[in-house]
Amino acid sequence: MWQRPDSYGRFGKFGGKYVPETLMHALSELESTFNSLKDDPDFQNELAGILKDYVGRETPLYFSERLTEHYRHPNGEGPHIYLKREDLNHTGAHKINNAIGQVFLAKHLGKKRIIAETGAGQHGVATATVCARFGLQCLTYMGAQDMERQALNVFRMRLLDAEVRAVHSRTATLKDATSEAIRDWVANVETTHYILGSVAGPYPYPMMVREKEAMEKWGGKPDVLVACVGEGSDAMGLFDDFIKDKDVRLIGVEAAGLGLDSGKHAATLTKGEVGVLHGTMSYLLQDDDGQIIEPHSISAGLDYPGVGPEHSFLKEKGRAEYYSVTDEEALEAFKRLSRLEGIIPALETSHALAYLEKLSPTLANGTKVVVNCSGRGDKDVQTAIKYLKV
Amino acid sequence: MACNIQISSFNQTCFFNRQVKDLFPAIKLKTSKRNTRNAHVVCTLLLPKENSLNSRKLGLNIPITGTQQVPIIMPAITPGKFGKFGGKFVPETLIACLKELEAEFNWALQDPEFQDELEIAFGDYVGRETPLCFAERLTNHYKNKDGQGPEIFLKREDLNHCGAHKLNNAIAQTMIAKRMGMKSVVAATGAGQHRVATAAACAKLSLECTVFMGTSDMEKQSSNVLLMKLLGTEVKGVEGNFKDASSQAIREWVGNLQTTYYLTGTIVGPHPCPSMVREFQSVIGKETRRQAMEKWGGKPDVLLACVGSGSNALGIFHEFIGDEDVRLIGVEAAGFGLDSGKHAATLARGEVGVYHGAMSYLLQDEEGQIIGPHSIGVGLEYPGVSPELSFLKDTGRAEFYSATDEEAVEAYKRLSRIEGIIPSLEASHALAFLEKLCPTLPSGTKVIVNCSGRGDKDAATVLNYQQYSM
Repeated sequence: MWQRPDSYGRFGKFGGKYVPETLMHALSELESTFNSLKDDPDFQNELAGILKDYVGRETPLYFSERLTEHYRHPNGEGPHIYLKREDLNHTGAHKINNAIGQVFLAKHLGKKRIIAETGAGQHGVATATVCARFGLQCLTYMGAQDMERQALNVFRMRLLDAEVRAVHSRTATLKDATSEAIRDWVANVETTHYILGSVAGPYPYPMMVREKEAMEKWGGKPDVLVACVGEGSDAMGLFDDFIKDKDVRLIGVEAAGLGLDSGKHAATLTKGEVGVLHGTMSYLLQDDDGQIIEPHSISAGLDYPGVGPEHSFLKEKGRAEYYSVTDEEALEAFKRLSRLEGIIPALETSHALAYLEKLSPTLANGTKVVVNCSGRGDKDVQTAIKYLKV
Repeated sequence: MACNIQISSFNQTCFFNRQVKDLFPAIKLKTSKRNTRNAHVVCTLLLPKENSLNSRKLGLNIPITGTQQVPIIMPAITPGKFGKFGGKFVPETLIACLKELEAEFNWALQDPEFQDELEIAFGDYVGRETPLCFAERLTNHYKNKDGQGPEIFLKREDLNHCGAHKLNNAIAQTMIAKRMGMKSVVAATGAGQHRVATAAACAKLSLECTVFMGTSDMEKQSSNVLLMKLLGTEVKGVEGNFKDASSQAIREWVGNLQTTYYLTGTIVGPHPCPSMVREFQSVIGKETRRQAMEKWGGKPDVLLACVGSGSNALGIFHEFIGDEDVRLIGVEAAGFGLDSGKHAATLARGEVGVYHGAMSYLLQDEEGQIIGPHSIGVGLEYPGVSPELSFLKDTGRAEFYSATDEEAVEAYKRLSRIEGIIPSLEASHALAFLEKLCPTLPSGTKVIVNCSGRGDKDAATVLNYQQYSM
């Protein structure tokens, strides 16, 4: 039941390969190369070496003493909060784990040109970084609106010798950038590898992204895993190893933006319906005519109307639970972790941290909670300062 | 030379940095507290100041109790002096305070609980150990026409939490402040990285934190100011630049000695400050030795680091000072050029004097007034330098060169482009020197550059520099 995905690239009814004919061959090639390499010890060793020396893995699992204290009840009881420090990765987020693996694949496929889409810029920076490291040409599509919000990341990508191309169509955000990137790939599939940054997208992408990010064992199981969910790659990276462990609770936290009833949010699993977007069947925010509803979140990385098909599957099976927090709650959590632990989390990560406020009072004493600290928040300081009175 | 030591059994590594005769009470105290199986006694001996260069540790496994003859080889640091450099040139009021700090520091060094706690903080909070990364494309870049050239490795201090080596020292000293029962911490340095690191450490250990910054620095490093405020630190502006901010911080400290800890980030100042900072940063060199052994079964041939005050340089050098076959190269900031008068190349152009409590090289004019330094790498913009580095220069143990702003910016862009690592402008000075160094090195020379910080903070500066120079 938990074979993920099946041979058609489906997770239950979700997933699949809803793409133009031209891409089917490329996806098959990708799938077979991925399958052959994942069991190849030389490939795995080389990848492990790069992840260790270049990316800085493994990332620590940090006991968050002051946060644990913060959630203690007056009688001294409460859960133990741990942070998986993906913010310490080179480039400051979990995105690079996937980028490295996929660039390796691309090199094996003989590709010289890499394209990517990016929302917050983290995936774009990660891709540009890895392309610089391996000497491949890099082009990133980014929504013009996102380019304004994340000017630092744009500069970083250009420093890393990548071309950043603005996408002006529709809302000029992540999903438009993704569409543009797919169009480019269709036109240039012989020479180009498309590094998808999310677990959304046609098979085998969802599986590949997830496999790279399986959490290293820490000598005991957590009781609860909490992660933010935009398209869902960092959550899948954390959940993956524990899906078969029924005694581990999996909690994804989406962006409720200005509130679930405001119409300005990105809470796909809470408010979306099943449809096809970017090559995959999954939940998505769509209106009655099947048109995509523009999402909103203060954090660019969660501002996506779709979600990875595996998350849709886990929700339907009841294996994982999905909640949401507002922009305001996320900002409070951003400030809280900075003040209590001296760690400035990404606004995306702050959504997961914000949910601790509702979650902790319900947990038994000593429950081990691991929150995926998926990125650092230096990139969000300007945004946060505008809203917070600091 | 040997010392007699009455020991019982305890299974911790204890580092004693005292006169031999002082070891006895310390060991007796330890043994009364512990009752475990194997003893691992590490002793150092204080040598007369003319002979000491570094400390080396001698480890012994002594499974039996009783009196043992323990041969003691080499030296330890003398109290705050490196040849004629260093010392404690401070007002009377501070002497008692510094003595207390020194005692606390020495005690912490040999307290296994502190060491364990520090190891956990380094591992889980800071994110150590940092990798020793083979820079393949940089190595290829420096190969000559015959395909020969040195092998370049990067010690990735940029991957630390807060993005630089500064947190190694900040977290350790904040832990000491807490041990001493202090309630608040004051700090001041140039780059902002030390301040951010201090702010983070204080947040984690719930100490109040006040940071002093020169108003001109506050403008240049506005993003760092925001970061500090987010972390709960109070940022106070001081008219002038880093040296004025430092002086103000010291004044604040002197006014509140009972409750306030002055957290020095630079490896200057009166003893024990330079030694403390060096001790905590030396984790970099210790890891490097082990990693080099793992990677190629040997030692590095050349260590290369940027030098502002010298904390990251000494952090990587210190471990290898006794290894004469390892070349130690520090690179200072030549700003607009050594002859322009706008630089921060203290060891190249300075003279010996006393500044911020220590005797060392410093940039001073004929009247002994401090010359304002300049560098595009704000963390290198300091008119003084570590007394220990001054000593290494005078004894010829280490070599010092410099790189201009322009060379540093080129190196910043180069590493970004060919390795996908954006280095800090400070570290870029070390990287810039590779241009001159590599053609002189035999093929296969193992060069390790201390990549002391990441350069996201410098993006705006580089952008402005590019636009201005166009």
